[in-house]
Amino acid sequence: MKPLEPEILRRGRGQPILLIHGIHPVSPAALFVDLLAKHGEVIAPSHPGFGASPRPPDFDTMYDLVHGYLDVLDAIDGDGVTVIGFGFGGWIAAELATLRPRKLKRLVLVDAVGIKVSGREQRDIVHFFNTAPDELNRCAWHDPASRPRGIYGLGWQATISDEMTDAEMITMALNWDSLCLYGWRPHMFNPQLAYWLRRIGVPTLVLWGGSDRIVTPDYGRAYSRLIPGSTFAVIEAAGHHPELERPRAFTDHVASFLRANP
Amino acid sequence: MPMELWNHCENPYPFVAADVLDAADAVRASLPNIYCDPEIAARLYDEVLAEYVRCDEIGLHIVTNEHHSGINNLWAASPVITGIVARLTRKVRILSLGTLITVRPDPVRVAEEYATIDVLSRGRLDIGFVKSGATEMVSGDANPMRIREREWEAIDLIEKALTSHDGPFSWEGKFFIHPHVNIWPRPYQQPRPEFWAATSDMPTCAELGRRGIVNTLLFGGYDRTKLAFDTYKKARADAGLPPPGEDRFSYMAFCYVGDTDAEALRIGQKIPWFLTVSMKSAPQMAKFQPGNVTPEMAPAAWRAGFSKRPTDLSVESLIAQGQMFCGNPDTVVRQIREFRRRVGGVGRIIMMTRQGLVTHAEAMRSFSLAAKEVLPQLQMATQ
Repeated sequence: MKPLEPEILRRGRGQPILLIHGIHPVSPAALFVDLLAKHGEVIAPSHPGFGASPRPPDFDTMYDLVHGYLDVLDAIDGDGVTVIGFGFGGWIAAELATLRPRKLKRLVLVDAVGIKVSGREQRDIVHFFNTAPDELNRCAWHDPASRPRGIYGLGWQATISDEMTDAEMITMALNWDSLCLYGWRPHMFNPQLAYWLRRIGVPTLVLWGGSDRIVTPDYGRAYSRLIPGSTFAVIEAAGHHPELERPRAFTDHVASFLRANP
Repeated sequence: MPMELWNHCENPYPFVAADVLDAADAVRASLPNIYCDPEIAARLYDEVLAEYVRCDEIGLHIVTNEHHSGINNLWAASPVITGIVARLTRKVRILSLGTLITVRPDPVRVAEEYATIDVLSRGRLDIGFVKSGATEMVSGDANPMRIREREWEAIDLIEKALTSHDGPFSWEGKFFIHPHVNIWPRPYQQPRPEFWAATSDMPTCAELGRRGIVNTLLFGGYDRTKLAFDTYKKARADAGLPPPGEDRFSYMAFCYVGDTDAEALRIGQKIPWFLTVSMKSAPQMAKFQPGNVTPEMAPAAWRAGFSKRPTDLSVESLIAQGQMFCGNPDTVVRQIREFRRRVGGVGRIIMMTRQGLVTHAEAMRSFSLAAKEVLPQLQMATQ
């Protein structure tokens, strides 16, 4: 079988910073990419089935994504990769880190999904595919009006307008379909993952939007408690996508973490 | 084969107050069942089963199906209701169209249930398959992606389970794994009951053609139905298979047969409730559900508030679009003959009559007229 050849956004130079995206690939227009690129080389692939990355026919589970990202790590020059996972990508990053890949040096989880925390009759993660668009939009942002133009996060359906091009819509639909393939059931978590988080052996920052109602800060705190030695921090006035809603505060947190864990 | 008439009733529940329905974001999947009065439901089951018994007496075949968690349909499990119908009837064929095989986790159980019904009815069962989607994916927690592939694998496994008689076999597929398949009883009909499928998805129609499965169009109207049936025929021709008979083609439409045209139109107008009220669905269960349309179709779907529903729901326009047969017996015969001519032949008409606000008595009258005055004329025309 041929190795995967994902589309990859690269920016900056220096220590590799691998971004594992959430529901959409990292936008080249996102301010946080420029800000992060001052601290190293930002490497942001699109998952198979997202953006312009092809998806092999039977590549359709979290198992495939995790092994796909092991390939990505192997292909990065040099050691000492910082992995930052956002939302759904935070789940991938956490799974990846439990496997202790040799090149992984630091881990940042941003409003990550992926584990089951509370009881069987409490939902930890708002259902991405079975929640009204307006409600998703409300839960995902501290202030839906602060959403950067042309960059989309959860609740994007509520903001579809005539400004959006057909090409953009087709890409959004493709991403949404692929996300569903990977994450419909169990919805956005692996029942086994919480137990294995104890294997994560690198410095870890668990970073959360204080206003995230898709997965709340309490869920983030529980996540952090399961990762030995991890630090938990909240970015105020940000929802599920703090890197989009408060890019400077987000980058400051990451930069401090990089400095504290040389 | 002489033309056949089939009766399909979804057993709807049109008794929830309008203000409740108006306030709900979806009348399927999410409407609290506090609004379902079990006494009313019990009466509806009694009435529709009585209609099926009458159909058995007068020669109308019977279709059952299932939908879940909504006012449109109280048949929550097609195999359950089909088994009851099998026991209540003696002569007519019974089609389950169908149990939702893209939602059910184990097709082997489905095969076993259908084999049981086939034996119980002494070989009167036909098995229908539907791809499903939309609210059913939510109420069944079934991934809406790849349901076409999942449906075919389920059909293949069900067929193998029904036709294997030499002890356990193993199935390790993409979607279903069952290492020890050995159903009891085996089906009454050999090699297996007839398969049907309801689809207007053209690649699926082509595959039905290659397999010789009966292709049913639901409310497809003249053009889409003809396209689907032509696709079926072409796929057979391309594969070097003999041309299909009209019994390979089936069409479901709203239908009301009255003593007069005026009466039929008056009562028929109670039927489109099904389209106007009982399909109300939340956007996340419809146009934004993954897989609902291909990504290339998304701009059209999202911009236009895309809907497959007919936009004009008067009985007259439904008749004009070939989505309803309605009138006195001669009128209905003329409409069905016209439909048959325009789609290039169809042998099995499924009438959706007890629908919307149509009452038990009204439905019984339509069935009597359909059996006594419509069916003989249609059968003369095709013999």
